[in-house]
Amino acid sequence: MTAQPAKKAAHTTAVVPAAASPVSAVVAAVAPELTGMIRVLTCGSVDDGKSTLIGRLLWDATDLYDDQRETLQKGKKVDGGNPDFSLLMDGLVAEREQGITIDIAWRYFDTETRRFVVIDSPGHEQYTRNMASGASHADVAIMLIDARHGIKRQTRRHAAILDLVGVKRVVLAVNKMDLANWSEERFRQIEADFRSLSWRFGFWEAIAIPVSAVSGDNVAEPSKQMPWYTGPTLLAHLESLPSRVTDSAGPFRFPVQTVLRDIRNDFRALAGTVSSGSVRVGETLVDALSKRSAKVLRIATMDGDLTEAGTGQAVAIQLDTDLDVARGAVMSKADNTPAIARSLETKLVWLNETPYDPRGAYLLRTATDLIPVSNLEIRALLDLETLASNPSSVCGVNDIALAHIALGRGAAIDTFADAPETGSFMLVDAVTGASIAGGVVTEVSAAVAKAGADTFILTRAMLERGLCSDLRNLSSGDGEAEFRRRANEVALILRGAGVAVEIESPQDYSI
Amino acid sequence: MTAAISHLDLLEAESIHIFREAAAQFRKPVLLYSIGKDSTVLLHLARKAFWPGRLPFPVFHVDTTWKFREMIAFRDKTVRDFDLDLIVETNQDGIAKGVNPFDHSPSVYTEVMKTLPLKAGLDKYGFDAAFGGARRDEEASRAKERVFSFRAEGHRWDPRRQRPEMWRLLNGRLGAGESVRVFPLSNWTERDVWRYILREKLDVVPLYMAAKRPTVVRNGQLLMLDDDRMKVQPGEVVTERMIRFRTLGCYPLTAAVESDATDLESVVAETLGARTSERQGRLIDHDQAGAMEKKKQEGYF
Repeated sequence: MTAQPAKKAAHTTAVVPAAASPVSAVVAAVAPELTGMIRVLTCGSVDDGKSTLIGRLLWDATDLYDDQRETLQKGKKVDGGNPDFSLLMDGLVAEREQGITIDIAWRYFDTETRRFVVIDSPGHEQYTRNMASGASHADVAIMLIDARHGIKRQTRRHAAILDLVGVKRVVLAVNKMDLANWSEERFRQIEADFRSLSWRFGFWEAIAIPVSAVSGDNVAEPSKQMPWYTGPTLLAHLESLPSRVTDSAGPFRFPVQTVLRDIRNDFRALAGTVSSGSVRVGETLVDALSKRSAKVLRIATMDGDLTEAGTGQAVAIQLDTDLDVARGAVMSKADNTPAIARSLETKLVWLNETPYDPRGAYLLRTATDLIPVSNLEIRALLDLETLASNPSSVCGVNDIALAHIALGRGAAIDTFADAPETGSFMLVDAVTGASIAGGVVTEVSAAVAKAGADTFILTRAMLERGLCSDLRNLSSGDGEAEFRRRANEVALILRGAGVAVEIESPQDYSI
Repeated sequence: MTAAISHLDLLEAESIHIFREAAAQFRKPVLLYSIGKDSTVLLHLARKAFWPGRLPFPVFHVDTTWKFREMIAFRDKTVRDFDLDLIVETNQDGIAKGVNPFDHSPSVYTEVMKTLPLKAGLDKYGFDAAFGGARRDEEASRAKERVFSFRAEGHRWDPRRQRPEMWRLLNGRLGAGESVRVFPLSNWTERDVWRYILREKLDVVPLYMAAKRPTVVRNGQLLMLDDDRMKVQPGEVVTERMIRFRTLGCYPLTAAVESDATDLESVVAETLGARTSERQGRLIDHDQAGAMEKKKQEGYF
């Protein structure tokens, strides 16, 4: 890969706005795209120097703009006369005033080969939800601790949250080594503690690096103070990790977002993003819910047809026969389809200030489906330090709970371990629309719970006759989506009135 | 895989995904089109998301009447080329009262000529979702913005009431009185926008390329005289300079940079090596500390 022009040496040069440059040579050097991207979560508390660490990374990785550098140089200085790097990270005025980081902040910087997306999350226990939501976007997490204090209960909480939302690679940045006399003994002890901690989780990789964010030791530059450490610097380690979504290994999943049409050319295609695995033209796809299948005729994009589409690619798939497939369906291959879930065992993090209400009206947002929840039952709360689950029927903000969710109708859902994108969900408050909880599916049951004598079945025929009698082309997808939306709302209203309700599922009536 | 996926491919796919989610979840979306380079990329991605169909929503432009003339010409050509439904909104009341960028402070001018007509237009047509080209890398307060950014009644943005977003899931269920701003370019940087324009060979407003243009230096900034509404002040000398713009807005509030970059390649080369972040060219942001966050709370983008 070719180098970018703005490198370290430019730090000290004066501001030259858009100076004329030897154009043709530069274009060749800058036009190539970066070959990868990695999303890095940073977690730890303010006291551990998290904002300073990221600020230092940005500073040393050199694609900061001069006006940003100047602002920092002019600002107040912290220990040792260094600029206050944390000013680069703490965004909102209120937060700057309080000196704490409440919300997740996103930062972007490029090294020679790759885009780094830094997701900065708050460390305080009362912001577990912010950390969990930030972590769900990350490929790797940097857990920051103070070398003087070592691993604390917060570190254990953080590791548990990372594991829950599916982060597979973690780095323990043992910060403030300068204040711990650059002591190898101290570091090795923390490293050993970290090993025994991370062993309990499903991480693929967990390493510890001794750093000093303030002085930059082992951040981007190897430390002169710690010759005993022979491992990579933090930046070097992050650059060595594999890029985001280039792996198309998992089972093929294609959650349908919408149906695209071009009447002039008799074109009808399912639009979506491949969320797992890959697909080729000519392969047979099946809609798990209706069990109907068809062959892939074209994988279309505005830039031309593809012969194959892999994980992360947004495409439109045209089938050789029109299936009555609408938004919410998940296309897969016959040998590995998602379950038609009627109930789920889940782990979720409660995100909203409003606590769990057993009579609340909830919706489950999966990849592209929105399903009425017929029953949400909190079974236990997870103690993030001991990892023990304690039976509970209540759940509030920042709690991590084990919950049983019964769905108002069947939906195509995976376990998080099998296919993360079709095995995760948001729990939505049907009335306010708020995102109540985010969770992962640990077990899927296709068994239809025996409808109790008092369960009201909302049948297809009933809805078609009345509420949905105005809907035309019910088979074209659009009508079906609206049909489902209305069915969902009726189910929610009935449930709010205390009536147990089930929506008749497509597989109950089709073919 | 058919080919190695570059970071731009990943960003493009993510943006297309966001467009499709929003179009499927909201009843009446609209694309806010400001004619600049970010809007150009935004529009291109929207076309990709719904190709081969037409855009399933209109594009909306707030015309302050102080835009560069070349911007308006470019807008109208774009609308013709891509068969778009264009809605233009102007605050006639502001014009009648003579609100202009010279005699009024940037914050008053922005409120009256941009924010008010934007809100009024969204309300008038009943749009529940508006796509915007904002990026998280633009400014500190935007670093915390969501992809689906919820606005309470009156379009107010409350940083504390934003919904957590997890994985690729986007929850667009609206509460009473709520609407949403959708930012498909959230994870793009200024450099990505340029790189992408180059890769996709997109047309941009010619003002982004250097040319001889009449300029004056005012308050240390280089301004272009786009029409005779801009009066030359005593001591100012109108000089033809080779200039171009890194951002485009109302011409009296948009500073130029001197440059020899007359084609897109050179502009990208300059930009990727540029040492000043783009918002420095926007005069409104320097008005007061925390300016952007304040403007957002009032409903500005």
